[in-house]
Parts: sequence; structure tokens; C-alpha cells
Amino acid sequence: MHNKPCMALRKRQRRNGVTMEKKCSLNMILYELRNINGNFMPHFFGIVFPNLMCLLVSKTVGAQVPAEMRKEAVTSIMLTMTLVIPMAIMLIGYGALYALEIEKGIPLRMRLFGFGEKCEVTAKIAAHFILMTIAFLVFAVFQAVVMEVQRPAAGSLICLLVSLYLIGGIFLIIAHALANILQKFSLTFGVVMCLYFIMMILTGMMGMRTAQLPQVLQKVAGFLPMTYISNDFIDFWQGGSYNFMPFIQSFIFFGAAALILLYLSRMRNHHFSML
Amino acid sequence: MLLTIGQLEVKYGSQTALKIEDPISFKKGERIGIIGSNGAGKSTLIKAVLGLVPYRGRIITQLKPEQMAVHMQFNGYVTTMPVRYIMETILGTKIAKNKELQELISFFDFESCLSKRFNALSGGQKQKFTIILVMFQKAGLTFYDEVTSGLDFETRQKLTEMLSQWYRDKDDTLVVISHYYEELEQLADKLLILDKGRVVDFGRKNELFERYCGRVVIIMENSGKNKELSKGFPVLKSPEHLLAISCKSKEQEREMLMILTENNVNFKRSNSDIEMMFMNARERFYAQ
Ligand SMILES: Nc1ncnc2c1ncn2[C@@H]1O[C@H](COP(=O)(O)OP(=O)(O)OP(=O)(O)O)[C@@H](O)[C@H]1O
Ligand SMILES: [Mg+2]
Repeated sequence: MHNKPCMALRKRQRRNGVTMEKKCSLNMILYELRNINGNFMPHFFGIVFPNLMCLLVSKTVGAQVPAEMRKEAVTSIMLTMTLVIPMAIMLIGYGALYALEIEKGIPLRMRLFGFGEKCEVTAKIAAHFILMTIAFLVFAVFQAVVMEVQRPAAGSLICLLVSLYLIGGIFLIIAHALANILQKFSLTFGVVMCLYFIMMILTGMMGMRTAQLPQVLQKVAGFLPMTYISNDFIDFWQGGSYNFMPFIQSFIFFGAAALILLYLSRMRNHHFSML
Repeated sequence: MLLTIGQLEVKYGSQTALKIEDPISFKKGERIGIIGSNGAGKSTLIKAVLGLVPYRGRIITQLKPEQMAVHMQFNGYVTTMPVRYIMETILGTKIAKNKELQELISFFDFESCLSKRFNALSGGQKQKFTIILVMFQKAGLTFYDEVTSGLDFETRQKLTEMLSQWYRDKDDTLVVISHYYEELEQLADKLLILDKGRVVDFGRKNELFERYCGRVVIIMENSGKNKELSKGFPVLKSPEHLLAISCKSKEQEREMLMILTENNVNFKRSNSDIEMMFMNARERFYAQ
């Protein structure tokens, strides 16, 4: 029997009765925050871009709708733009960062210094969720101060936040799996960017509502939780009832797709060595 | 015995990159050099010991993984922050508060590099960065895979000197892969010779030299005249432009030197030339 690469390492660890892996520490999270900070992309796409888009789109749309509808229209745009944040930070930001590190052999180097995959990825995830939280805060303050949006019902706001964090988590899994499968920065970046634009179009973030898309594309969009946030959340933003079933189903589907991708990436890394 | 490798086989697809049949042992405090041409399987051996590649066979060691440190042939770090922060994170300490680390940094003259990003370091500085990280781990077994490759002659010499100085009087076990024989003269006591994934020989430097080159080698230009003069003496395998004579005894050597002096021939005498030993070890390995 051939020993599998990392299994051999783990087996030796077990034999010696120790785990080599260092625990994910606060220092490690600070390091990952610094790591994200060293690149302007997540800041631009995750923090500047959604606010800027809100401003621009609401100016043009605002001019087209009657005054009494304006506030609702701007709120609807805001809801759509919140989706940019998890996509930019988790899918593009994390995907690009991790793929670049894999390409440079950095995770392996960290393993050899005693930082296990679990430790490293945990710190990365924590750092990205912290950045996403900052982005949400900036976005919220911007909306409250600069934009005129409808005040949400507490339940609706919580529902939005929970959904956004879940979506962020799923995108992170997708990005992690893709980076592991593709191993190259350029490939991974290309694929996540494509996904980003396709999802923007499908979920009504590019100015065309999902209902205006061809039937087939509408079907596909139905599998994405973003579609419901972008198109429907405005209906119960200030309270009211909503049939959550399709939304929840889309989460289950989207999450399952991400997990399958993650499983495939594990399989791949099992067959090929890290080198 | 620190580490024993027995009947190891590493394959990449259908290609056998490394096959070790007779067990090899590293003892505590030994300084082992690994030599062999490109693709001989040197890095593969290290990767197998570290459990990074799948292998068949047995690697027996009491060492815990954190007691092994390795300078890989290629070491990558993030380029998003000054290397100071990478160093502090990896070593789990603060430079300002750690005397020992400060000493190590100044020993390698690395202070001014701390505020630079990894991609802004020169080749030699990059190597030093990993060396500092690896040394600070104070592992029982440390691997250096081509730690001076890509550096200019002077930097290479300086770095080798620093390494040898640092480890002098210490009982660390070192495994050093290098294509530069002067480096191994300084850093290694034993040599593991690999070729095309096979072990050619493993032993103390002087024993290996004696086995393959005799007591002393006399190296001169490969000219017709020199060939004529050295007729009757055992000729060793050598680079095309050189002629190498092996002297088994003092008498034989004296005789040879007399002839060379009388005929005004330039020559080099060595009782430790690794290159010559390596060539002849390989020659004999394939002759068998
Ligand atoms: N990941 C890999 N996949 C396929 N083949 C590999 C891989 N790594 C090494 N090899 C092959 O295994 C053989 C030994 O490689 P190795 O890296 O051990 O050589 P080396 O002795 O370290 O050479 P160098 O002096 O060039 O560093 C080579 O023929 C190489 O092509
Ligand atoms: Mg190598």
C-alpha cells in the first residue's frame, strides 16, 4: 500500500501521541487580517463599490420614478447591493487570496512550520467574516446617513443579516473548493469572476429584474438565494408576510452544491500530493 | 538512531523517483550532505521523510514532526505585509521582546530587511529569512535543501560560513542538500550520494574518498604530455579536460610528484575532493 501524502504525516503524529498542529490563535487571525489588508481588491469591491453603486443607481433610478415611490425604489436598490458584499469579499476576495497562496506554495510552507490546514483556514475564515462585518457596518452607516431608505422591521433586518452571513459562508466554501481544485490564481480568479457576473445577472443585480429574464434563466435563478433577497425582500422590508419556502429551498440547494464542490476538492487533494 | 529509512520507494505516476534498498540511518549530531545530479531524488527523499509525498516502505523515527525543521528548495510567503509580521506570527513571539531572535536576526544582518515585503527581498535575503525561521525552531533534525542556490559566489560563501559558524559546537543534526561541493566541505561530515533515484553510497567523507579515489588524487591538465608522464599510474574518472591520478600510498605519491616537478607540470593535490569522489563513485556503481 502506498501511504497517502498527508496521511503519512498524520499517522506519524498519532504514533507519537501528539498533534503537530498549532492552535488557531488571535495572532493568526491578526496575521490574516493584515494579509487581506495588503490587497486593495476586497476593500474596493466589498466596501467602496457597493456604496458607490447604491449612490449612482439610485440617482438614475430616482429620477425616473415618481417622488412617492422614490424611497421604496432606493430601498430596493440597497437590498440588491448588499449582496455585492458577501460575493466580493468571500467569493472573489477569499478565492483570489487563497488561490494565490496555493500557487506560491504558502499553505505547504505553513504546514511545515506547524500550522495545520484547520488552523490556517479557521483564521482565514475568521478574518474574512470580520472584514465582511466591517463592510456591512460601513454600508449601514452610509445608508443611514447618505441615502434615504425605508426603515426596516426588526424581523426583516435580522432575516436579511442572517441570510447575508449564510450566503457569505457558502461563497467562502465555494471559493475554497475552487482554489483547491484549480490550484492556480489566474484560473481561480477567472472562474470566480465569471460566477460573480453570472450571478449578478441572474439575481437581478445588473439592472434587469429576474422576472425580465428568459424562462430558463429564471429557473436557474430560482436556485440561488440571492434572487429572493434582490427581488422579494422589499415586499416585507417594513413588515408583512412572505412565503419563505422557495427561499429556504434555494439555500439548501446552494449550500449542498457548495458542499459537493468542497468534497470534490478534498478528493482531488487526496489523489495528488500537495507538491 | 535519530532516523532510519528502510526500503523506501517513492513513485510519481509510473516513474520511480527514489528507491532505497539498504537501510540508511541518521544519528544524532551528524552533519549529512546529500549530493546528486538534478532529478536524482534528493528533494524527494526529504519530502518522503516529512510525509509530503506518498511512499512505500518504512521511515522509523522517534522524532515528532515539530522536531523536524526544513528549508525547502522553494519557500513561499505572503507578500501582503512586511516580513517582520510573518516572522512574528510563525514563531509566535515578538521580535522586540525576544533577545534570542534579535541575536539571530543580527547574526544574519537581517534587521534592515524586516520592514520589507518578501517579494522585495533579494535572493540571498529570501534564503536568510527562511533560515532564521528554521533555525529558531531549534529542531532536532534540520533539512536544508539547496539553501544557497541562485546566489552569487560571495553571498554563497558568506552564507555557508554563517551556517557553519552557527552550528559549530552545537549538537543539531543537519541534512544539507547542495550542488556546491565547497559548501559540503564545510557543512557535512557524511555524504549520501544519490543518482537517478538510487543510493550510490553513504558514508563518512574521508572514507568515501578513500574508497573511490585512494589516499590522494593528483589532478592536472589532460594533455598528451601529462598522459605520457603518468603512464603506469591508476587513472581516475575525471572531467574531460582534466587528468586525475590516484595514489594509493605515500611512496606512489612521492614518485608521481617527483616526475611532475621535474617536468614542470602544474597540478592540484587533494585528499578530499568531493567532485572527484562523486564521479568515481558513480562510475563504479554503474560498472557493477
Ligand atoms: N510532483 C512531482 N510530480 C512528478 N514528478 C516529480 C515530482 N517531483 C519530482 N518529480 C520527479 O522525481 C525526480 C526526482 O525529483 P527531485 O525533486 O527529488 O530531484 P532533486 O534531486 O531534488 O533535483 P534538483 O537537484 O534538481 O533539485 C525527478 O525526475 C522529477 O522530475
Ligand atoms: Mg531538489
